[in-house]
Amino acid sequence: MLDTSTQPTGPVTQVTGPNGPSRRRRRRDAKVAGQVPRHLRAHLTAYLMITPMVVLLGIFVIWPLVYAFYLSFFEMSFYKDAEFVGFDFYKFVLTDPEFYESLLVGLKLALMVVPTVLVLALLLASFLATLSKRVAAFMKTTVYVPAVVSSVVAAIIFVFIYQDEGFANWFIGLFGHGPVAWLNTATTALPAVAIPAIWLGFGVSTLIMLAGILDIPDSYFESAKLDGANFWQRTRYITIPSLRNVILFLLVSGLTLTIQEFQLPLVMTNGGPVNATNTPNLYIFNSFRDATPYATSYSLTAALLLFLVIGTISIVIFRVVSSEKSSDA
Amino acid sequence: MNRSWYAPRRLLTYLLVAGIAVTALFPLAWMAISGFKSQTEVLRTPFQFFPDVWQLDNYRLILADPAFVRAMVITFAGAVIFTVASLAVNSMAAYAFARLEFAGKQLWWLVCITPMFVPAMAILLTSFVVVSKLGMLDTLAVLIIPGVAASAQMFFLRQFYLNMPAAVEEAALIDGATRWQIFLQIFVPQSLGPFVVVGIASFLGYWNSYVWPVLVVSNPDLTQIMQYLATFRSARGNEWGMLMAGSTLAALPTILLVLIFQRYIVNGVRLAGIK
Repeated sequence: MLDTSTQPTGPVTQVTGPNGPSRRRRRRDAKVAGQVPRHLRAHLTAYLMITPMVVLLGIFVIWPLVYAFYLSFFEMSFYKDAEFVGFDFYKFVLTDPEFYESLLVGLKLALMVVPTVLVLALLLASFLATLSKRVAAFMKTTVYVPAVVSSVVAAIIFVFIYQDEGFANWFIGLFGHGPVAWLNTATTALPAVAIPAIWLGFGVSTLIMLAGILDIPDSYFESAKLDGANFWQRTRYITIPSLRNVILFLLVSGLTLTIQEFQLPLVMTNGGPVNATNTPNLYIFNSFRDATPYATSYSLTAALLLFLVIGTISIVIFRVVSSEKSSDA
Repeated sequence: MNRSWYAPRRLLTYLLVAGIAVTALFPLAWMAISGFKSQTEVLRTPFQFFPDVWQLDNYRLILADPAFVRAMVITFAGAVIFTVASLAVNSMAAYAFARLEFAGKQLWWLVCITPMFVPAMAILLTSFVVVSKLGMLDTLAVLIIPGVAASAQMFFLRQFYLNMPAAVEEAALIDGATRWQIFLQIFVPQSLGPFVVVGIASFLGYWNSYVWPVLVVSNPDLTQIMQYLATFRSARGNEWGMLMAGSTLAALPTILLVLIFQRYIVNGVRLAGIK
């Protein structure tokens, strides 16, 4: 504290007027050293409070991000110095069929997972809203429990369920269907990965929707009931329109998160069979681990391009959601 | 509404409640039950839900593996340190951004909130370069420190602090309390609810992490629990009983956490203010 009081830092001089700093410094010098004026001490406290956050994010997020952009303009090699190649890697990524193929896989996965989660969450939340307090509390915990299970454990459980003699084949056998090699068949592998993703994701969506439903005034539902509206009509004309923003938020955040999913396919299939479950991030992650520097630069660039798209979408959702809240109040 | 209509409806409700609960929890129950089956029973034809003989061997064997126990202990210790450090760093910044005015606040806010939009994959490789240049590879620190500052959690806590009434704070200032005293003695004690919510998120994030440990840790003494399970699966994938027992034990702390703090978590969704 003593040190900073004798050397005003940049931001401190910014707030004072053109003649301010010198006058203030004179006055402080005249005083007994060690006394920091109260208004400066408030700044100092604030800086001390944000310093750990700023330093950590700077070292472990912002610098790696800047560095990643920097590296994406160079071709690295074991044998010679890195060579500046401009936008070459961006061109490679954007003309690489495998990259688009992986995007398509990610998109397909998202289209399997997100609508299912939304419908499930809407139905469950509507049902939970009708329950008595005690039963509702039990159900809220129950649907939330799967959400805390790790992707690795979920992947292991479902690989077990998909074994030849496993639960999934027993279950379809009840309907007279023969056993399926779920994770080794190109057409079933992606849906088989989608199911644990749905299982991990539906709980949080349900709780968020429930919070939204509980905010809808009871009078809406009651007058609809008096008018003889059934459950589907109430859902169609009251619940869904009132939850428009919640649903939008869950839809877009669900899509961006699911497109980025890669831990489930990493543990369950490692992208196979024939790339059927090779999501964009899994494709990128496996190129990272590929020891050739070329693959490293390539995947780095692919990750950045993905980030630009997804980051933009996330910022837009964030804006929509926070502006909605302020207009709500 | 007459009674004859009411009673079957109630029964239907309870059947539905039971059905949903059983379906939602089935994968976990299936994992735990399979842990009690012997190697010959765990995958058998004809299919059978419950074992003929409930045996504890799988649980006993996995607990006798020092690598498993060490992974559980070291991951738990890491998760606790990580959670405490996260709460300290993020809540301090949240308080400053919610309650204090300082030069360049807008700029620092941008610096602290932008990382929320950066997906882990975009910086995975360069983060690895950074931690290896810092000589952090294969330490407990590399597992803990890089993730401690979390923009989303800071944002969540700041929302909470913005809504705290100003009167108490002003009274304390008049009484000559410093901002640190106000933060530590007024704001922190009132933050139990939000602290539990973000604390659980931190704990889960650390306990469940897999990709980062795989990249930065190769010392067997530091193997994290998810790393242990994934390695077990690739090396001894046919020992399903033991793998299920290990997965059950690895999932247990997170599930217990939810059960202990269920009240806060359910409220947390409302606190987050997404509506």
